[in-house]
Amino acid sequence: MTLAELTHPRQDYSYGFLDAFARRELRRRILKAIAIPGYQVPYASRELPIARGWGTGGLQATLSVAGPQDVVKVIDQGADDSVNAANLRRFIARMTGVETTTDTARATIIQSRHRVPEERLAEGQLLVLQVPDPEPLRAVQPDSSQAREMHADADYAQMWLSLYEQLVRFGRFMQGASYPVIVNRRYLMSPSPIPRWDTPALHQSAHLTILSAGREKRLYAVPPYTDVRPIEFDDVFFQVEDQAGRVCMITGAAQKFMDELPQPGGGSRFRISDTGYVEKLLAAARGEPTAIGPTYYDDQGRFWMPGVIRGRGDGDS
Amino acid sequence: MAAPMMSPADARQHAAFTALMWALSYPGRPARLPAAGPDALGLIGETLVDLETGFFTPDAALAARLARTGGRGLPAAAAPYQFYPRLGPAELELLAAAPVGSHAAPDLGATVVVGCAIGQGARLRLSGPGIAGSCEVLVGGLPDELWELRAATVRAPLGWDLFLVAGELVLGVPRTTAVEVLPWPM
Repeated sequence: MTLAELTHPRQDYSYGFLDAFARRELRRRILKAIAIPGYQVPYASRELPIARGWGTGGLQATLSVAGPQDVVKVIDQGADDSVNAANLRRFIARMTGVETTTDTARATIIQSRHRVPEERLAEGQLLVLQVPDPEPLRAVQPDSSQAREMHADADYAQMWLSLYEQLVRFGRFMQGASYPVIVNRRYLMSPSPIPRWDTPALHQSAHLTILSAGREKRLYAVPPYTDVRPIEFDDVFFQVEDQAGRVCMITGAAQKFMDELPQPGGGSRFRISDTGYVEKLLAAARGEPTAIGPTYYDDQGRFWMPGVIRGRGDGDS
Repeated sequence: MAAPMMSPADARQHAAFTALMWALSYPGRPARLPAAGPDALGLIGETLVDLETGFFTPDAALAARLARTGGRGLPAAAAPYQFYPRLGPAELELLAAAPVGSHAAPDLGATVVVGCAIGQGARLRLSGPGIAGSCEVLVGGLPDELWELRAATVRAPLGWDLFLVAGELVLGVPRTTAVEVLPWPM
């Protein structure tokens, strides 16, 4: 044995940037998060060369899971080309050597800020959601120690009360993004600020979802094929954002989650928020060979799994 | 700038971790580890254990290998990571004391890695998160009392999470999985 055999070539960074202890800790926490769906597992949340609040939670999860064979997609509010997404993607690629893509179907790891792609994720794909505030009880219980006790007791009465109060005061549920869900009939969970449109995508999904809050140092997961139910009453149902009458100004498509672009002089135009999906639709329109996967919502706005969004007539009974 | 390279040890631990992650995500579907037999248990230890946590194993050779990770050797009643190359009645008694966490911190429940045989032995029906409906697996080399003990001590969200290792295959049985031992058809 020679000294040269014992050393590796000099590198400026560890693989995946994180040191071995950070990586091992994250891996231990990720396994516990998968074993206890919806439970917020505390973790150390190391320093990264990106400020906390800019996706460091998701970034740490991605960096501890990614290997050279992975294909990574990073989106920010559906866009592959926003500054935040582009920076994170470049950093992940530099530190892990992964291939990057904008194609949802090709990606093995999809790190996302506040959206789930329109195309349905498949088995073996990992969705990493960046989480600003992991605590769904924050609005009703600002003390996080108390909130943890409430999770321990599965005491969500205040949450139901606040839902009822919204109904009495405004006639509907007012929560938009981060609509609270019950995971595996046990833990109340914030699905991160994804729009209500994306919330049903987590229910009985084929893919694994890891949600990670770097600033708040909490990590949680939704395993595949797990019940994720938005809180609702038996006679007043959770609803997704109504996309009816909105047509994408780029592709002409309808019944996908749209960005609203206010126009000078009033009025609005709409654009599909998922830019990777827009790319595919445009390529298909040009006649290029493109495999567009099945989407969560069809062109009539019906969710693919009947009975999940109740009270809309799309297959519920 | 070229991306940093994984060292051979990093690459093995990465492969082991992804196998554990997918095994736990899809209980009942074996994932492939980059090591087999006793070496697989050692590799899982190196992947998860370091000086920030502790372990227990009744196997002296494995204990020596795990000690090199920097992890503390702890009694079975306190160790977050437990490794049983063979599970007999004596080991089952130890496992009965394994930490199950508390309602305030269910993640303090232990991770238990057990050597077994997959594809032969008892017929188990698994259902719960990670499984579409239910699935059946054959797992041998384990005492029947293991499933009785698990039914008595594991009450999700409290409990320990099992990794069953046979050769280079690993099967995840998280605490949320309902395990039913099926009779053999006559």
